[in-house]
Amino acid sequence: MSDTTQSQDGPDARGEQPDSDTPASHADEEINVRIDDLTKVYDEDDGSGVVAVEDLSIDIRRGEFLVFVGPSGCGKTTTLRTVAGLETPTEGRIWIEGEDVSDLEPRDRGVAMVFQNYALYPHMTVRQNLSFPLRIRNYPGDEITERVEHTAELLEISELLDRKPSALSGGQQQRVALGRAIVREPSVFLMDEPLSNLDAKLRVQMRTELNEIHKRVEKTTIYVTHDQAEAMTLGDRVAVLNQGQLQQLGPPQELYDEPVNRFVAGFIGEPPMNFMPTDIVAADGGYEARSDHFEIELPDDLVAAIDDWDGDPAALTLGIRPEDINDAQLVGDPTTSANTIEAYVRVIEPMGSDKYLTVSPTAEGRHEFTARVSPDSEIHEDEFAELSITRSKMHLFDDETGQNISI
Amino acid sequence: MSVEDSYEWLDYRTRQRFWDVVEGPMIVHLVLALSVFIVVAPLLWEVLTSLKTNEAVYNLSVIPQDPTLGSYYNVLIEQNYWRAMVNSIIISTTTTVIVLTLAVPAGYAFSRFRFPFDTALFVGVLLSRLFPPIGLIIPYYRIMSSLNLLNTLPGVIIAQVYLWLPLMVYIMRNFFISIPQELDESARVDGCTHLQAFRHVVLPLARPGLAACGILTFLYSWREFLFSLIVTRTLAAQPISVAVYRFVGDVSVAWASLAAACVLAIIPTVLVVLTFQRYIVSGLTAGALKQ
Repeated sequence: MSDTTQSQDGPDARGEQPDSDTPASHADEEINVRIDDLTKVYDEDDGSGVVAVEDLSIDIRRGEFLVFVGPSGCGKTTTLRTVAGLETPTEGRIWIEGEDVSDLEPRDRGVAMVFQNYALYPHMTVRQNLSFPLRIRNYPGDEITERVEHTAELLEISELLDRKPSALSGGQQQRVALGRAIVREPSVFLMDEPLSNLDAKLRVQMRTELNEIHKRVEKTTIYVTHDQAEAMTLGDRVAVLNQGQLQQLGPPQELYDEPVNRFVAGFIGEPPMNFMPTDIVAADGGYEARSDHFEIELPDDLVAAIDDWDGDPAALTLGIRPEDINDAQLVGDPTTSANTIEAYVRVIEPMGSDKYLTVSPTAEGRHEFTARVSPDSEIHEDEFAELSITRSKMHLFDDETGQNISI
Repeated sequence: MSVEDSYEWLDYRTRQRFWDVVEGPMIVHLVLALSVFIVVAPLLWEVLTSLKTNEAVYNLSVIPQDPTLGSYYNVLIEQNYWRAMVNSIIISTTTTVIVLTLAVPAGYAFSRFRFPFDTALFVGVLLSRLFPPIGLIIPYYRIMSSLNLLNTLPGVIIAQVYLWLPLMVYIMRNFFISIPQELDESARVDGCTHLQAFRHVVLPLARPGLAACGILTFLYSWREFLFSLIVTRTLAAQPISVAVYRFVGDVSVAWASLAAACVLAIIPTVLVVLTFQRYIVSGLTAGALKQ
């Protein structure tokens, strides 16, 4: 008697839908949530509109952990709330379990949601909080007891069941909020920045636990965060949003290795990718990235990419991740002028496992960029250092559109 | 010359000691005692006077020479003052029930829903309380007259509802705003209709606000004078606040009876406040702390 079976169209009913034009009828069996051409415009008082989400289409597979990530105001929370039914889409439809739920109330959608500030009912004990979704749906008493205790065990909050939320720590409140979503066995979990109110250490710990819980309950989860580290560690796939538009959708590693544009490249990865103050100019039949202070010869695949691209190479920006810039002394490869630059080291931040160097081409410190080197490096602050660049990991971005032309 | 400079002839420690005394417990207690005296003295005088006879009032002693409850008997039974008390209880209770029944849903709607002209409507509600009620006495009298409600309890109750509803809508709206909207949303995702979310989650949390509103409405309508005076003529509908005037005659004032009537008027409000005071406090401060 879970939510999914209570809705009229279970997963099995999908093939029998008579209306063959609906996207759901030719949906992949594995699709659980379909966001179809979603646009949400908020009307302002002066009659204008603010576009929160624009033409967003994503198919979310059954059991998948999908993360929406982006800066604040990018539309990720709006999208989640629209899936939950707390916002009405201006255009587009939402499909869950093959059923068009766009016009259904939140309670009829088979979704459970964890809110950023937990939204625990302060006047109820933990037990009452957990059982609330079941009580309101008139589940039999013994089933409620069983499910609540099972969930409490899963989340290790059994001994807290008779406390009020105000008597719990932030981490415990977080677990209860999670439990209230799990206890219903919904078709889809929606999580709106659930870890953002926790302190740094607890956040990392809960992140791991979320991963474990997801593995155990195997439910489709849509997760919203502004923290790219959370997105990378949790997501089966990650959707990067910016200004209401989907930038890239893919597995975390793919987003990291092959960012489609400059926004994704700068957003995913910590510290973010460097965009170097260089001009791309033709040299010796190939190209090189040249600044006043150094030249880097571009590898063959980037040369080919530039040749395939129609525009002017001068309108390209070179992107290099900090870990692809290393201390030349520690690199096994022979250093050549083709892959080595000299830069002034302004600040060294030892992180234990690495050192972050903030460097610039000259001592004046304009055009700073970051290098991530081994802790064994003997580079000192306020000195020039030889840095070696892993040329195969470089990217080229079109200045005008931001597109990555090197993938 | 700054204030600091003008102090220079006193050294720092002397000044410190001076302020230590001023802020010390002695001065604080003195100020508190004075305040309490100002508040309690008239009340005490009234209670003491009510225990005298009308003739003994003019004796010089403040303490009644031989205390008697005769004035109370005279007022309540012989002068039929009990009718006014019953009227007041009916008027205040009914007003409170009606005001809460209307103000709670109205306040909730104003706090949660966006609808056409929502701001205009809310301003309209407040607007009715922006000018002195006395300006509406004449139209109100005419309306009650044409409805044949003069000198009836409904005539008074309608006035009380009109007077206190806008304020209570305002208070309830602010109270509901202090309850995070995520709670209703969470309840709706958990399986509630709008109404169920309101009943199971929002209303229990709004209880202090509800209590505060109820008490305020009760106290306000209990003591309201102007509209009650205009609408009523006899004890058939007069509340206490008006009926008390019966003891102020053209040539003399029956001080002991008047004092007894006043004490009787105060007792129910004191009982209400004592019973519900913890709600008043939490109702007025609710939302001050993050849940």
